Amino acid sequence: MSALKKTLLLSSLTALIALGLSCKPTPKTEDSVTDSKGITSKKMVFNYLRGTAHKSLDPMKQFDSASADLVANIYDRLFEYHYLKRPYELSPVLLSEMPTLSEDGLTYNFTLKKGVRFIDDPCFKGGKGRELVTDDIIYSIKRFADSNVNMLSYMLVEGSIVGLDEFHAETKKLGKETNYAKLPVAGLKKIDDQKFSITLTRKNPLALLPFAATQISIVAKEAVDKYIEDFERHPVGTGPFYIKEYSRRGVMVLAKNPNYHGTYPAEGDSGDKESGLLADAGKKIPFIDEIHLPLIEEPQPAMLKFQKGQIDWIGLDKDNFNKMAYKDEQGFHLNETYSKKFDMYAEMGLVMEYLVFNMKDPLLGKNKALRQAIAYALDTKGYIEKMRNGRGEPLKSITPIPIAGSQAQTETDYYSYNKEMALKKLAEAGYPNGEGLPEIVIEYRSANSATRQDFEFLRNQLSTVGITLKPGFQTFSAFLTKIESGNFQMATAGWAADYPDAENFYQLLYGPNSSPGPNHSAWANAEYDKLYKDSKYLPNGPERYAIFAKMHKILQDEVPVIITWNPIYFGLFQKWVGNMKRNMMQDAPFKYLKIDTAGKKKGV
Amino acid sequence: MVGYIIRRLLYMIPILLGVALLVFTLFTTVGEDPVRIALGNHASPEAITELRSKWGLNQPLHLQFLDFLKQIITFDYGRSFNTGEKLSALFAQGALVSLSLTLPPFLLAVMLNVSMALVVAYYRGSIFDRFATAFFIMAMSISYLVYIIAFQYILAFQFDLFPINGYEAGFRAIPYLVLPGIIIIFVSMGPDVRMYRTVFLDEIKSDYVRTARSKGAAEPRVLFKHILKNAMIPILTYTVVAIPFLVLGAFLMERFFSIPGIGDLMINAINTGDFPVLKGLTMYIAIGYSIFNLITDILYAYVDPRVKLD
Repeated sequence: MSALKKTLLLSSLTALIALGLSCKPTPKTEDSVTDSKGITSKKMVFNYLRGTAHKSLDPMKQFDSASADLVANIYDRLFEYHYLKRPYELSPVLLSEMPTLSEDGLTYNFTLKKGVRFIDDPCFKGGKGRELVTDDIIYSIKRFADSNVNMLSYMLVEGSIVGLDEFHAETKKLGKETNYAKLPVAGLKKIDDQKFSITLTRKNPLALLPFAATQISIVAKEAVDKYIEDFERHPVGTGPFYIKEYSRRGVMVLAKNPNYHGTYPAEGDSGDKESGLLADAGKKIPFIDEIHLPLIEEPQPAMLKFQKGQIDWIGLDKDNFNKMAYKDEQGFHLNETYSKKFDMYAEMGLVMEYLVFNMKDPLLGKNKALRQAIAYALDTKGYIEKMRNGRGEPLKSITPIPIAGSQAQTETDYYSYNKEMALKKLAEAGYPNGEGLPEIVIEYRSANSATRQDFEFLRNQLSTVGITLKPGFQTFSAFLTKIESGNFQMATAGWAADYPDAENFYQLLYGPNSSPGPNHSAWANAEYDKLYKDSKYLPNGPERYAIFAKMHKILQDEVPVIITWNPIYFGLFQKWVGNMKRNMMQDAPFKYLKIDTAGKKKGV
Repeated sequence: MVGYIIRRLLYMIPILLGVALLVFTLFTTVGEDPVRIALGNHASPEAITELRSKWGLNQPLHLQFLDFLKQIITFDYGRSFNTGEKLSALFAQGALVSLSLTLPPFLLAVMLNVSMALVVAYYRGSIFDRFATAFFIMAMSISYLVYIIAFQYILAFQFDLFPINGYEAGFRAIPYLVLPGIIIIFVSMGPDVRMYRTVFLDEIKSDYVRTARSKGAAEPRVLFKHILKNAMIPILTYTVVAIPFLVLGAFLMERFFSIPGIGDLMINAINTGDFPVLKGLTMYIAIGYSIFNLITDILYAYVDPRVKLD
């Protein structure tokens, strides 16, 4: 009997394994593709992954990176950040050239590229995608400003275009009765089907930056009208790809738009030519036929698939970094085993991590020396080395290092770990060696193990000078409620650039931006606010940087926040991936990438 | 029998009302605020008010609860807060995927584990029994996650026997479901075999078994005809009530193997405060659980003639 059962068990398992083996899926990269001339070639399939499922493919309704990555490949914007050049600068996408500015510096004149077409879709007459015209641009900007559609990102253009704020307010009043045709916006003017102008409320060198955001992608009215609620799952754009297979929680497949109007950049940064990044200069894009985007939420299977060559590009998380890479004086490197198989990039993010003090808190808000003591007691360098595998740089200004106006230009300095100074400031604050100082509560936006480890590190650091920290772990929404209602002492925070300009970071401490705005410290300083306003509309250059340096000095002295570090992002890509240059303003630049299919077949 | 079924169905009403009240209370008191999650940290107070009103979250709690009851009666939970997708379609699709992941290994596991438990119980007290018991206790003590990570790494990555993860619709899904299925079976062995073994041991010591043997019945007949049949009541209780949870899938399995089932959907809904998804799923599971409990009781009457359904 036992032998019979054992045999049954073994044979069942063997059958299952055999079933798995016999049904093992074939990689789709082996498929071929036939072009309009009937020439058959190997299909170029790029395999990437989605770490989280997107929320919406309606450009105006999304504000999460998973949605933005897809929207950026299906729709076009007026501009994008140049794929190769650094520092980041705008380059035209749907325009024949960069817009011209009127003499008074208030009106931009735009000319659309000719021959840009929406993809074929039943929403158009005869199912054939029509040519993009000025009306589409004006419609899309109005739709972006429609408060019934966009609840997430109107602040990107708030106050900058003549008549747009009034339009925004009117849509709020009218609700679903809003009719764009009956609500003209004085600052948006159609000249003809190819030309239009945008008039600003004041001179503003930053005014064009929001038009590179995926939220102001250009949509077709016919598609919005036809698909209504389902428009967010049925995108119709002019972008380099269209959705071939929609599966929010499975594999999304994007296919090449054969009529795409774009070309590969003709210019790049120094060194780009030598590294082969300009070999395709001026060539029609996209090169890739299909992009396969499975949803893989866990890092282990994602990395295993990458190592098997089933994924072409992957971000390197903390655990895998320890296993696969290391840091020395020259920088970051892959271990020998992996460097033979893969290529790596290490790119500084446009992100600033910091700690916020509530300036209304009776203990911390009124005691500058105490805030300074905490700033001296923090060992940011040690934190980066021990907790982040060295994957970051301590910040010496509020602006991330790759952005113009950062410490590289202002040459500012900032607090670094100094126990003596921390103790001195603590005594000055009235708490020598921390005696008599009550516990300080620091708020976190989650309760996961990484957050708890971060807290333990911080608690240990501050305890060396006699400061006792207590954690406040909670859900994200509870965190926001607490912070915005000013019901906190200290909180962890981070800010990722909405656009690559220092202003986007200095505004975090601008007085009128207090909660529900981003200035959660509720700090207000008349001199800082004046300097902020002076710098906001200045072009980058020595004059602006000098103002930034003055603002930094005030922040350093007053310490409403403690600026900590700038993360560095790592990624691995297969050696058969071409034209890869990590662009922090374009997270999914699939249209520029290519695959060496022969190399991929050989595994090199 | 019909009267019994009607009575039991009527008992379900207060149970479901209790579940609905509990879910509603938990969501409104300790759950994530879906509006804040959706709008992020730049939201203006007007936008917050507007979205709260659009989702009906600005209504008094008792009205929100009445709406919930209406949804339970009509089986129409509307659309997901998160994605705007229709929940009926989302649930139907997800439930099929989850069932395709959990049902085949569940059935296989029941057969395998019952057979193994019978063998182990037959050799009670022997070295084989002790070794098996120790092995199953050890197997139970290891986390589910460890099995997933180890099996995925060894069988799929190192030995290339299965796809690492993924899912495709229809029969193309089979290769992707085999490894998760093996893990489900393996993980179930420890607790299930131990539980069934205890049940069988109780039966093996019974007088009717001794009588059957003394009358010269062959061992297979004693085991399968007499012992297995009499052990069916606890086995039925244990297995049938697990069926509604199969629809929920296996959260970790779905996450690591990228299988778009209900388990992963539910966890994401909890994280993002997607109340319509949570409401719908919880109520379906509560209804399923109650119905399968009833089915278990009806089955008792078939496997044990002493049980009368009055």
